[in-house]
Amino acid sequence: MVVAFWPRDLAFIARSVPAITTFFFALLSLVPFHLPAFGAVAPSFVLMAVFHWTIYRPELLPLSAVFLIGVLLDLLNGTIYVGLTALVLLLARTVLLGQRRFFIPRPFPILWLGFLALAAGAALFEWAFVSLLQATWLEPRSFILQTLITAACFPIGSYLLALAHRAVPNPGG
Amino acid sequence: MRLSAPVKAVAQRLTLPFLIFVSAMLAVLGKADVMLFDRVRVVLADSMAPILQAAGQPIATAADAVASVEDIFAAYRQNQQLREENRRLLQWQETARRLATENEQLRNLTKFAPQDAVSSVTGEVIADSGGAFLRNVMVNVGRRDGVARGQAAMTGEGLVGRVIEVGERTARVLLLTDINSHIPVTLEGSRERAVLDGDNGDQPKLVYLQPKGEVKSGDRIVTSGAGGIFPPGLPVGIAALDGSQLRVEPYADLARLDVLRIVNYGLPGVLPETAIPAPRLLRAPKASAADKAR
Repeated sequence: MVVAFWPRDLAFIARSVPAITTFFFALLSLVPFHLPAFGAVAPSFVLMAVFHWTIYRPELLPLSAVFLIGVLLDLLNGTIYVGLTALVLLLARTVLLGQRRFFIPRPFPILWLGFLALAAGAALFEWAFVSLLQATWLEPRSFILQTLITAACFPIGSYLLALAHRAVPNPGG
Repeated sequence: MRLSAPVKAVAQRLTLPFLIFVSAMLAVLGKADVMLFDRVRVVLADSMAPILQAAGQPIATAADAVASVEDIFAAYRQNQQLREENRRLLQWQETARRLATENEQLRNLTKFAPQDAVSSVTGEVIADSGGAFLRNVMVNVGRRDGVARGQAAMTGEGLVGRVIEVGERTARVLLLTDINSHIPVTLEGSRERAVLDGDNGDQPKLVYLQPKGEVKSGDRIVTSGAGGIFPPGLPVGIAALDGSQLRVEPYADLARLDVLRIVNYGLPGVLPETAIPAPRLLRAPKASAADKAR
């Protein structure tokens, strides 16, 4: 049992793994990958983390954590729409929370499809939001590319999150 | 604090709508008052810089390794290209020397006042914007290195953008291609003035051209110096006709930015933050050149 591994006083560290990994996944999308034009289409790793933890352990990734990480990411990426990522993540969490019973027993390909749909929804929302506030038609190309790249990176992100997941005590533990 | 069960239940139920409301308000407010988050942002960027830099290190190393392997395979072809380029550049050098001498003679004749000394500092890109609607980068030089708002960011090839936020050890550069970037430019041949407007695409648009202005694909575009942000004559890019829309292909490869030179031309063009009235609700229609440059 993993639970026995953690002394009682340190259990809170294990319980904060979801929030910590989500935070690091948020930073990951800012790091330059030295690939041409990657900055504009860098995958949204933070969405993977929110997806994973909302489905498997929503109680360990509370709304407040999602909100704070979203705002932090917006402050760091230099957008003038501080709060947009927070809004997208909160909405994603809300939508997923209703579907988690469906996703939990499903095999990976179904999860992947679910994530693709979520990423597409998030990109569409961002695109519509920014287009509306800028009052211009933003070129949707980079949003589409970003969605595809985010979905393509999902297996890697998902694998890393599953590794981190092992450190988290089981519910009730 | 211990709350009674019903109160707690209500509070829990209200958290989501409350946070969603707050995020949406922040996002809309940020558009109306861009200064709102600047202070917070700068402090945060400064404190996160070491983490971002450390996180980027392994990726940079891997990218370097890949690049050096590519270089080995491309060595012969590159060598050929470089020889050819060298031959051409030698001719240019000859021309430049001749022009420099001539220029000096003419300046002596006209008692021309030379420009202020130019200083520059080189910084590494430590964070991409990582957003589909953002075109900016963060570099690891800041106020302590002499970086200030409004300074030009260049690569060896040409203008990349300008500094919009400065922390103690970080600065954010708004790229030419960002939808909020408006740079006064001029066509090198005709001295026709225009504004280079980003639209988040790879090639920014040329707008506010004189209706009779004749622009051909291939014309060189340089900064005009209007608005006092940049000195005139910084190389920006090459005009490219895209349907009826004039666009500019930047000289600098904005898709691959590793190292940027932040250049201080000693121009007082950017107003201090406090001197800019925060726009209320609606933005005024395209106003002065200083506004355009913001």
